[in-house]
Amino acid sequence: MKVRLDTYRELGISIALVVMIGVFAFINPVYIRTNNLIDIVQQSTVNGMLAIGITFTIITGGIDLSVGSTFAVVIVSVGMLVTNGVPPLVGVAIGIIIGLTLGIVNGLLITKMKLQPFIATLGMMSVYRGVAYVMTGGWPVVRIPREFRDLTDGRVIGEIPVSVFSLIAFAIIAHVLLNRTRFGAYLYAIGGNEQATRLSGVNVDRTKVFAYGFCGIGAALAGMVLLGRLGSGEPTAGITYELLAIAAAAVGGTSLAGGKGTITGTLLGALLLSALRVGLIVAGMDSFWQFIATGLVIVVAAYFEVIQQRLRFQRNKKPVVTP
Amino acid sequence: MDFAIEFQHVTKTFPGVVALDDVSFAVRRGEVHALVGENGAGKSTLLNILHGGYSEYAGTVKLNGTPVQFRNPHDAIHAGVSKVHQEISLVPNLTVAQNIFLGYEPRMGPLVDFHKMNRDAENILKRLRSPLRPDGLMVGVSAGEMQMISVAKALFHDAQVISLDEPTSSLSSAETDALMSIVRELKEHGITIFYVSHRLDEVFDLSDRVTILRDGKLVGSYETSEISRAELIRKMVGRDVSTFATRKQPRRVQPEVVLEVEDLSSPGLFEDIRFSLHKGEILGFAGLVGAKRTDVMRAVFGADPVVSGKVTVHGKVARITSPMDALERGIGLVPENRKTEGFVRYLTNEANISLTCLRRFQRLGFVDRSLRRSNADTYIQRLNVNPPRSDFPTENMSGGNQQKVVVAKWLSTQADILILDEPTKGIDVGAKAEMYALLEDLVAAGKSIILVSSELPELIGLCDRAVVMKEGRIVAEVSADEMSEELLLNYAMEGVAS
Ligand SMILES: Nc1ncnc2c1ncn2[C@@H]1O[C@H](COP(=O)(O)OP(=O)(O)OP(=O)(O)O)[C@@H](O)[C@H]1O
Ligand SMILES: [Mg+2]
Repeated sequence: MKVRLDTYRELGISIALVVMIGVFAFINPVYIRTNNLIDIVQQSTVNGMLAIGITFTIITGGIDLSVGSTFAVVIVSVGMLVTNGVPPLVGVAIGIIIGLTLGIVNGLLITKMKLQPFIATLGMMSVYRGVAYVMTGGWPVVRIPREFRDLTDGRVIGEIPVSVFSLIAFAIIAHVLLNRTRFGAYLYAIGGNEQATRLSGVNVDRTKVFAYGFCGIGAALAGMVLLGRLGSGEPTAGITYELLAIAAAAVGGTSLAGGKGTITGTLLGALLLSALRVGLIVAGMDSFWQFIATGLVIVVAAYFEVIQQRLRFQRNKKPVVTP
Repeated sequence: MDFAIEFQHVTKTFPGVVALDDVSFAVRRGEVHALVGENGAGKSTLLNILHGGYSEYAGTVKLNGTPVQFRNPHDAIHAGVSKVHQEISLVPNLTVAQNIFLGYEPRMGPLVDFHKMNRDAENILKRLRSPLRPDGLMVGVSAGEMQMISVAKALFHDAQVISLDEPTSSLSSAETDALMSIVRELKEHGITIFYVSHRLDEVFDLSDRVTILRDGKLVGSYETSEISRAELIRKMVGRDVSTFATRKQPRRVQPEVVLEVEDLSSPGLFEDIRFSLHKGEILGFAGLVGAKRTDVMRAVFGADPVVSGKVTVHGKVARITSPMDALERGIGLVPENRKTEGFVRYLTNEANISLTCLRRFQRLGFVDRSLRRSNADTYIQRLNVNPPRSDFPTENMSGGNQQKVVVAKWLSTQADILILDEPTKGIDVGAKAEMYALLEDLVAAGKSIILVSSELPELIGLCDRAVVMKEGRIVAEVSADEMSEELLLNYAMEGVAS
């Protein structure tokens, strides 16, 4: 049943996505040129990675508001490393470790100090942001070497950049973790009923710490993708990105109350938001309209769930005829 | 005939399940009308329909001869139809009185009149002979006490029709008696009572008429005085079932002590708890609601911190500070409150049952779903879970079947010390008999069981020994031969034998 509901949701977003692409294509055919489509996907990679990470924390019934700041810390530290001659792959590995570490710190605050996720990560959002500023003295890191940029922004097949494949790989790993491992099963269980899960002998704290750590890795990957794409990194990068990531997860059907959510849904959510943004630009709309449109999409997607419930009820209304 | 409620051709389906199938019957004004049936027969669904819990269904419901269709419980309450829920639905961070009056607080101008609220609540609680203080917070209130508050809540609404969905499932016998007399008193005041229970004694004690549901279909309505117990059960279950808890296999208590608890204390809750559990033994825990049996069990299991005491498992001193530790040492706990502690909503039966033992179904780091499923299927079959589907969300099962899923979850750990806190709460006669047989099988297989129960016949019929608790202390230990309802009750209430 759970599977069926989620599939409905994902089908719904897919339909919305196709309809939207149709409308924008009708307004301006440039929209569906291959390059533009690649652009849409590419633009969703950063948010997609952040959103996948945050989905893990939301499924446990928590949240990670610090992803945008973790993102910035990774950008400036990896940026500084690779501009100072550290080999790109080593830089990536260190970036991942930084993201993981910051995420684990969040997780420890939440589990060991028993802080509420919202408050703990709100605090760390500011702390990590500060760290990013302090590290560079507020200045951007520039002249990222080509070899590093090629790792994320190089082209593999046609015009598709590496980052798109990284997103796909990351999504597959996340999906497998959620659906095929003990860890994933525990995440859903904790979000559905933490008390019962604890009483089942599950190491709830450790599972949660992992979830936040994983979320940090998502932020790190996203940061490195942006660093490679822009060729420079700023400590101000990623401000308010946490909200966009939450939006993608929510549009994709992740329940903020915990216990529900899929990677496919989150990915579709990120794609929808990016298709919308690119579409508005292509359609020649003022960029201010982006805010309004994005907000409306979030609200409509949430309402979708409510309508769906109602539809299910109406189906039940039909009497079962007994001879 | 003067009918308070009439159901006409009521049908309710859920995706994949027909919960009620063309059910028609009527409840006379001022009678106590019992509604019985197996787990999943559709009793709660029917009450939900009456009380506006489900506004979408086929058929007609009439109240005092006029068709009604309540859109929500609030509408129903306004029309004088109140309900005590099967699942306790109280707000933990409010006071007892606030819970009773929730949504209907007495007011003085724009402000809540707390004085009047507490006074009125106190009166209602007194009528129920409950020791609860109206201004006390809900923390530490046991399941039984919560049930009392739910009853108080319905009483307060001055309803003409009150439905009680398994109101006594977590009450001790003294509280049950108090509730019974309340129900009789309500009846004298002309209130119509709709009573759902798996305890047939209550049905025969209280009700004027009884309606039987089976698999969502109406079997019939009968004058309670004209139907025998055996006949009722046969109509409910479709076969003969003994309702008496007895040991059918020889007792197998072995001298080996598997669990020894010494001087366990947690100030404010319990003190100086000491008992031992032998291999192959069923050790009962008797006591009134509030005796803190649940707290002791939670402490032994590591769910709550203990201040002092020593627990020895299989001869080794065990520091159990979390359920994880307990599980590692082979101790399982089927908790008292299935909804908040037992199962996880959104999860399927399969996922819930495997939550305690996923490690076993792991292959190369991945969960092997076919192993997980076959484990779930084994227990679903063994416990007769209905619908017998491992992919069904536990949340959408009937109360009794949820309970079976929670038990299955612990059976599949293969723990050799199993603590069961009110395991037969809310399960039907057939399932109870199965549960008793299961307990016997477990001890026959060399496992040891602690059975916390408020049903004295259950303790007397099954246990090799029983410990009686009163207000956080153990007051007596009774052997199987000595056990009788009077003795256990006397200990539980007075702390002495007579
Ligand atoms: N929300 C739901 N979605 C799907 N099926 C449901 C839902 N609620 C109830 N059911 C199904 O309807 C049937 C009747 O359930 P109901 O709760 O009315 O049984 P009951 O007679 O009250 O049982 P119990 O004695 O165990 O409380 C069950 O098979 C149950 O699984
Ligand atoms: Mg029920």
